[in-house]
Amino acid sequence: MTSNLLQGINVLEISEVWAGPFGCSLMGDLGADVIKVESYPRKSETRNAGDPRLDPRVAEGDGPIYERINTHHHGNRNKRNIALDIRTSEGREVLTRLIRWGDILVESFSAGTIDRLGYGWDTIKEINEKITMLSLAGWGQEGPYLGRIMFGVGFDAMAGHSLIRGYQDGTPEEIIPILHSDATVPLTWIVAVLGSLMERDRTGKGSYIDLAQIEDLAWQFPGIISDWKMNNRVAKPVANSDPSIVPHGCYQSAGEDSWINIVAENDSQWQNLAAMMDHSEWAEIGHSWSSIVGRIDSRDEIDSHINQFTKQYDAFDLADKLQAQGIIAAPVLSPPDPLMSPQLHDRNWFQIVDHPYIPERLLGGFLWKIEPDAPSWDKRAALVGENNDEILMQLGFSSDDIAQMRSKEIIGDAYDEATR
Amino acid sequence: MTQPLNGMCVVEIGDSIAGSACTKTFSDYGARVIKVEPFSGNKIRRMPPFKGDIPDINGGAYHLAFDTGKESIIVDYSSNSGLEVLDRLYQLSDLVIFDTTVEKTKKLRSMINGVKYPSTVSITPHGMSGPFQDRRENDMSILAWTTRMYRNSMENMSPLRNAPGSTLVQIGHTAAAVAVGIYWGHQHDQIRRDAEVAGVEAILGNVDTGFVSWIFTGNLPERIGGQLKTRYPTGIYPCKDGYVILSANEEPWFSRLCHAIGHPEILEDERFTKDRENNWHAFMEYLGPYLDQHDKNYIFTHLQEHGVMVAPVLNASDLLDDPQAKARKSFVKIDSAIGEHFLAGAPFHLNKMNDKSFKLESAPKLGEHTNTLLKELDYSKEEIIALFRAKIIG
Repeated sequence: MTSNLLQGINVLEISEVWAGPFGCSLMGDLGADVIKVESYPRKSETRNAGDPRLDPRVAEGDGPIYERINTHHHGNRNKRNIALDIRTSEGREVLTRLIRWGDILVESFSAGTIDRLGYGWDTIKEINEKITMLSLAGWGQEGPYLGRIMFGVGFDAMAGHSLIRGYQDGTPEEIIPILHSDATVPLTWIVAVLGSLMERDRTGKGSYIDLAQIEDLAWQFPGIISDWKMNNRVAKPVANSDPSIVPHGCYQSAGEDSWINIVAENDSQWQNLAAMMDHSEWAEIGHSWSSIVGRIDSRDEIDSHINQFTKQYDAFDLADKLQAQGIIAAPVLSPPDPLMSPQLHDRNWFQIVDHPYIPERLLGGFLWKIEPDAPSWDKRAALVGENNDEILMQLGFSSDDIAQMRSKEIIGDAYDEATR
Repeated sequence: MTQPLNGMCVVEIGDSIAGSACTKTFSDYGARVIKVEPFSGNKIRRMPPFKGDIPDINGGAYHLAFDTGKESIIVDYSSNSGLEVLDRLYQLSDLVIFDTTVEKTKKLRSMINGVKYPSTVSITPHGMSGPFQDRRENDMSILAWTTRMYRNSMENMSPLRNAPGSTLVQIGHTAAAVAVGIYWGHQHDQIRRDAEVAGVEAILGNVDTGFVSWIFTGNLPERIGGQLKTRYPTGIYPCKDGYVILSANEEPWFSRLCHAIGHPEILEDERFTKDRENNWHAFMEYLGPYLDQHDKNYIFTHLQEHGVMVAPVLNASDLLDDPQAKARKSFVKIDSAIGEHFLAGAPFHLNKMNDKSFKLESAPKLGEHTNTLLKELDYSKEEIIALFRAKIIG
């Protein structure tokens, strides 16, 4: 059943990749009506695969490749889809009516692009003074980097996060690029747009929100900036260790490339861990490792003992046993492993999703539970232009208008696979 | 203009970074946030770094950053008298954020029932139900459950976490989004709601895990380090004075890069048009000299002028000197318990830069607001003294 929580909020998405689209899906989970205006005739970025032989993002299936790409599906549930060429006069008329319909407009072009398209904030608020417009350019809407482009991996590198994520004796070239901002920016912008709707309740007017993805990342890593400003120290990779806690690490377990995290935060957890390792004496008064200080002074030796211990056991079994003794322990899951989780199945977390071009499959579930008004997965990721007619008729266009737009390729429901 | 979350009152009862990170955005954008702490203070106060490496319950970097603008009250709620204080706090608030064990959360949440009470969000590692509900986890072990540690690492080498604390920050961040949602709903339909954020689900269901890719395609990520050698150039590359990160393996960025470094002939070369996946070393004979000759800021500017996705790889010192960060005042000075301190500024601006929607105020000292809050909760002087003597408040 569709959630009632955000029922009545209309979200208009003109946004690519994840930071904008995934947040719109989260709004859709909560009952907002989301319309994605998909680029046409140029494909959206997440509809593009590289060489399909080499690109791991493409699922097997019979339909067009652009309908079978993981990155697109994962950021686009719970939306209606119109594929529209907004560079044409007819397309602009459609967009104008959509702006009148919307409470929230989400755009993630590089700074200045939406203005050049003729839809800067001054124009938008003329069309609909109640709408809130959210711009998600990586470096924001002002400053010397105006117009520069980058994926989330670049913001992670600029925020100082990449350089501390590596191995202690490794090189920066080894560090895996991550899209942390794509995961967290949507969470911030949901707060921002709902805050702006509260402001609208007071003033009757919408707001313009400038969210620079790099700035949203920066507040999440206070240790990096603070250690520099407080102590003139540039943070270095600590890998999985913690300067104040021993043991705190990731250890090899039985099997190939198999690992377990173990942490003993205090003397009591250490006592239980030592007992599990058949070395209760390590936690007895008189033994140097019985105290936090003694353990910190013997970090390498303790880690070596734990590694010898953990190598004998399956990571999942050992984590169960250690957890039963109150010790923090978790197997390191590889991508298929969550499907075996008794916890996730017990909570009915996975969602069954069907799609015309991909066989039915389980996908990961929601970020939260709510009672009442649970989030709901009403719509799989829409096909390109799947809701063209429905949306256009809702906006007051006639069947003839729609037919004409289709014949002039203002709207469409298929891409030329070769174009980008 | 008022701040967007003016009028919203939030009570935070927790003991990890997640709850503090959740409510930080609220206090910075105008909500009133009351942080309920034990006598020893919330764990976040004990997280290093500290100025001069001297531990200070009011001066830890995470506390100074994540508790901005909040009020601190010390309450021992293990007794009925403490629970009675909590009950009055509940009735004062619009939203309660729990970030403690499942057992404690269930007990504290059970008191909230009826129209006069607020909506709640409960943050736990595995959720409030199921066979793992009572497991003890921390920032790193939660990440292990989400396939992100696996994804962050190289084959047969130890999986790696992200920055210390950042997993819990993302979980708190997730809680903030749903919390504002249920607050907004409550304001409009007067329906009280209980939300729960299970840390593993919040990370695993988000983007950028190995799981979301595998479950859709059946393909496992390559774990060969940051530079992909078949689909290039992506990842971190050395340059004259440090490193840059490139994301130029696909079109149109690959073509733009080849033009920008002065080698458009690459685009006609059969080694790259027909057999690119086997010719990374040959490609580096073109890209390598360009990177060796130029510093990261030149490369950033030059390649961006050609429409190539590139960024410099920065440390904290570089970041604070970044021209964009300076122009936008991305980092701001604040008076704090340790004197002048630097923090990240607004994550978003409403209506214009330097607006009044975001306000960074110093983090509270432990128990700084206990007495004023108890008066506001209608306790008499005698009652406050009685609670103090009984070590219920501090």
